[in-house]
Amino acid sequence: MLTRSEQDRYHRQILLIGEEGQEKLKSARVVIAGAGGLGCPVATYLAVAGVGHIRIIDHDTVDRSNLNRQILFWDKDIGLAKTWSAGEKLKSINPDIEIDAVQATIDDKTAPGLVRDVDAIVDAMDNYPARYLLNHLACTFGIPLFHGAIRGFDGQVTSIIPGKTACLACIFPEAPPIEIFPVIGVTPGLIGMIQANEVIKYLLGTGELLTNRLLIWDGLRSSIETIQVERDPYCRECSHLYNDGVMREKLK
Amino acid sequence: MNVRVKAFARFREIIGSENTLQLNEGTPVIDALKTLSAGSLDFRDACFDKEGNVASHVVLMINGKRISSKDREKVVLHDGDELAVFPPVAGG
Repeated sequence: MLTRSEQDRYHRQILLIGEEGQEKLKSARVVIAGAGGLGCPVATYLAVAGVGHIRIIDHDTVDRSNLNRQILFWDKDIGLAKTWSAGEKLKSINPDIEIDAVQATIDDKTAPGLVRDVDAIVDAMDNYPARYLLNHLACTFGIPLFHGAIRGFDGQVTSIIPGKTACLACIFPEAPPIEIFPVIGVTPGLIGMIQANEVIKYLLGTGELLTNRLLIWDGLRSSIETIQVERDPYCRECSHLYNDGVMREKLK
Repeated sequence: MNVRVKAFARFREIIGSENTLQLNEGTPVIDALKTLSAGSLDFRDACFDKEGNVASHVVLMINGKRISSKDREKVVLHDGDELAVFPPVAGG
């Protein structure tokens, strides 16, 4: 049951998704891996939409160089833990939801326990080793993964339903080189909002997800293209989920 | 034959969004990319590794269909093909 406060808060979207849809958002648990340029807009928009339980994970503290894009952090927050600062803002923007801000490095020891009890995982990381770990856990636990990544004016988004669609390792089997990436804040803002929109659609069971499609944003030309991607039957992560898949071990 | 090369993200900044190459029928994909590299050292450095292979993270597609890692050295192009080159971005 929605409270009176919730009925008021979400009135303009209940017109769209009904109280039943709002209840689905309220009962959902979402983990956002990373409280950076992508994590901030994802968390903000999932919070105001009324996703009932949001876990946001990061290990870092706020640096002045974060402030051109990480909109949950303000000048007064420099030096504070990102999770503390993000938690404070998200609880203020919507006190009707639960925020679980976890100060942790996402690695193979911490991540399984942080993602296995959720309905959706949002990839808001800044490196592929961590993304591959999230993808591995998504495939292991059968939890949808919502991928986003950015550089400069460019961004990419795709949604992954393990066992049904191409996974991250099918699309990007090899990681690009590590770099200190340049970025204009609008790019993760826009990509993060597309990720949040995907999560909301998934939780509501409405619309068409960006599955087996990679959305590519070109901010210099203000153009968006989606390209078809497909499962790799030899994929190291997800081929074992399919009857037609070929286990890597069998190839050796 | 004519082959259209469509570039994304950083590659687009270097060589523009679309290039049409005139090549011999059956030219390997890697040779088409080398042709583009001849006109742009920046593209060569971004697209190829030090051994002269297409960098492993670069996604290649012909007519919208991804070329798998194991096929990328042997796939050839035909008249009218569209080759897409896409460097995934990594930041967050």
